[in-house]
Amino acid sequence: MTEQEAGHAPLPVGEDEFRLIADSAPVAVWVTRLDRQRSFVNRAYVEFFGGSYEDALTFDWRAIIHPDDIARLLQASVDGEASLKTFSLEGRFRRADGAWRWLQSTSQPRWNAAGEHIGFIGVAHDVTEAKEAELALREREAQLSAFISQTTAGFAQVDLDGTFTLVNDRFCEIAGWSREQLLRRTMQSITHPDDLGRNVPMFERAVREGVPYTHEKRYIREDGGIVWVNNSVAVIRRPEGKPFGVLAVTLDVTQRRESENALRRSEESLRLATESAGMASWELDLETMEGKWSANRFDLLGLVRRDDLRGTVEDWLDRIVVEDREMAREAAYRCFEQGEPYTIEYRIRRADTGEERALQSHGSRIDYDDGRPSRFVGVSFDITERQRAEEELRDSEARFRTIFEQANDYLITLTLDQRIASVNPAVVSALGYTEAEVLGRPVSDFMDPDQFAISLGALQQKLIRGGSTRLTIKVRAKDRRELVWEINSRLTTDAEGNPTGIHAIARDMTEAKRAETHLRLLIDELNHRVKNTLAIVQGIAQQSLKGDRDAATSRRAFEGRLAALSEAHNLLTREHWGLVSMTQIISDAVRPHGGSARFTLDGPDLVIMPKTAISLALAIHELATNAVKHGALSEPQGKVTIRWARMRGEGAPRLSLVWEESGGPAVQPPERRGFGTRMIERGLAAELAGSVTIDFRPQGVVCTVDAPLPEGAE
Amino acid sequence: MTVLTGLRVLVVEDEPVVAMYLEDILDELGCITIGPANRLSEGLALAEGPLDAAILDINLAGERSNAIAELLRARGVPFAFASGYGNAPEGFGAPMIEKPYRTADIGRALNTLLGE
Repeated sequence: MTEQEAGHAPLPVGEDEFRLIADSAPVAVWVTRLDRQRSFVNRAYVEFFGGSYEDALTFDWRAIIHPDDIARLLQASVDGEASLKTFSLEGRFRRADGAWRWLQSTSQPRWNAAGEHIGFIGVAHDVTEAKEAELALREREAQLSAFISQTTAGFAQVDLDGTFTLVNDRFCEIAGWSREQLLRRTMQSITHPDDLGRNVPMFERAVREGVPYTHEKRYIREDGGIVWVNNSVAVIRRPEGKPFGVLAVTLDVTQRRESENALRRSEESLRLATESAGMASWELDLETMEGKWSANRFDLLGLVRRDDLRGTVEDWLDRIVVEDREMAREAAYRCFEQGEPYTIEYRIRRADTGEERALQSHGSRIDYDDGRPSRFVGVSFDITERQRAEEELRDSEARFRTIFEQANDYLITLTLDQRIASVNPAVVSALGYTEAEVLGRPVSDFMDPDQFAISLGALQQKLIRGGSTRLTIKVRAKDRRELVWEINSRLTTDAEGNPTGIHAIARDMTEAKRAETHLRLLIDELNHRVKNTLAIVQGIAQQSLKGDRDAATSRRAFEGRLAALSEAHNLLTREHWGLVSMTQIISDAVRPHGGSARFTLDGPDLVIMPKTAISLALAIHELATNAVKHGALSEPQGKVTIRWARMRGEGAPRLSLVWEESGGPAVQPPERRGFGTRMIERGLAAELAGSVTIDFRPQGVVCTVDAPLPEGAE
Repeated sequence: MTVLTGLRVLVVEDEPVVAMYLEDILDELGCITIGPANRLSEGLALAEGPLDAAILDINLAGERSNAIAELLRARGVPFAFASGYGNAPEGFGAPMIEKPYRTADIGRALNTLLGE
């Protein structure tokens, strides 16, 4: 405060009058002289200072200046006084109550009538409230500025016509226009025409009624590109309440919109695809638990199609048979609540026909990245036929499996390159391998090369002509045994008829072949024997019937020999043409001629070969016939003793057999030697490979046989 | 018809009755029977001697008469096989007389052998 000497200065009015006016003023007033002494202060001044009027005139005003302001104020005061012009100061002063108050002062020089400078008159008023308001505003402005210049959200202010009046950098970036361009345009001019129809009424209503709104729309950028924005819009009003503009906080949501669109598009195409594939689809808003069904979903459940095509979870669950319902509900709700996708099979009862059908459903939850409420989508389709077919297939497979496992026949499948794809247990046990040892191996491992060639030939034939082949092949078991298999095989084909493999059924013919071979041998042998026997019969007949004997004698001789031959054959047949008992063959041969009554047999029970047995039987027959006719047995008391023994000398054991007649008439040596004698002396000797002699002694015929013991006679 | 009188014919036959019968047939044809041999060893021995022809039973008590046939072929003696059943051993080109046989069968066979 500049002070001036009172009395030197003319007042515009009388002093008392001035004092009255000054005291009633709400501002502090003071008058100074040239010596800077205050000559007058008003009431307000004294009240601020807080002392007496006299003290108020004399105290040092610099003592109550705020330390932060003192340097500035003193400098401005010196400069102002020196200028001899009106000057202003602003700063904080301590009031009588101790509070710092902002005071704004204006000082103006005083001149006397002569025009000489006589001092200053000053006025100060308290501007603390205004100053604080200004500071607060400045602070808010700084905050707002920081807010507006941040990079996430764009800010745009437009006037009531929509012309941009303020935009931040981020808004320019989002909208794709420079600040200068925007400030010359309206928001309508950069909004996509398709969105204006919705946007303009909301804008107008906001201006008219002050209703804020949030909406999404597209801006067209300078480069022609499209940007999706989410604008939160509020009206700005003047203090008196009149709107003067609209502020929009703008977020770029293009990416979200695009992903949503993509999702929508893919959902749409999925829906079309699934429906054309007989799949029904449904969506569910997980906030409202209600959603849209595809038309065929109603059909699938036998429900009437609703006009709005909407349905609920419960509509669906109601159709599911009781036994499956809780399972389906749990799967669905687990998906809704935990996002766990599901695939379930269940049965429904159609609402219209009551028919039970099997369905399969897949459901999954779609979760948006930005945390918006998720949605559920699901597809269902009828699998009744498929299940039925599967069941039939399973049954049929099981049937075939049983046949496969239990068949005695060998069931084998091969790949086209002749490798074993599967075998049944019969194959494994026949070959002596384990299944693992067989699978994947080429069939050539199980047969000799010549046999494999036959197999390959059959395959070629099937490949060229189709059909099946039947062949007999020798296969090799693990122990190298040869097995004869009769194999029926045919090609397996795919749906187009292309060959995919070979299916073979084989049967073991090893035993059958062996039996057949054996039978063949038996028949050959039988034929041989029959022919031989016929040859013998022919020989006997020829011998019996030749010469000059009468027919009856000849016939009896023939019959006798034939009977002896037949008897020997009986024995041989009984013994299956094996070794026969010597005792037996001799006793059989003598039985027609008196048997044990006339014959004494004495010898060990040796066994002899069948052929030898026939010769022996015929020889005994001849001797006996002769004895009956001419020898010992022609007399009632005549006897024959047959002795045989195994002789052991220095060489191989020998057979000694002696036929000795006794008690008969005196023997005359025959005039000529007939068949009988020849048969015995030559035939039997040859047969036995020994010597046979007949001695016609007068007291009785003696026939002596000396031969190596016939083979098998041990 | 060749005159067979005096021909020396080896008979190899293990069945005595049949051998005797064949012997009688040959006798009737005027031939001289050599043998009959009823074992392989005996037949081989007799095949070494002077012969004009031979009739060989194929099966001799379980042995086959091939060895005798080979010997005879080596000597150039013609021979025929005789058997109740089956075919003549291969490789000899010899005729086959099937049992039971008749006198005429033997005569015809001998004529064939001697290349009438």
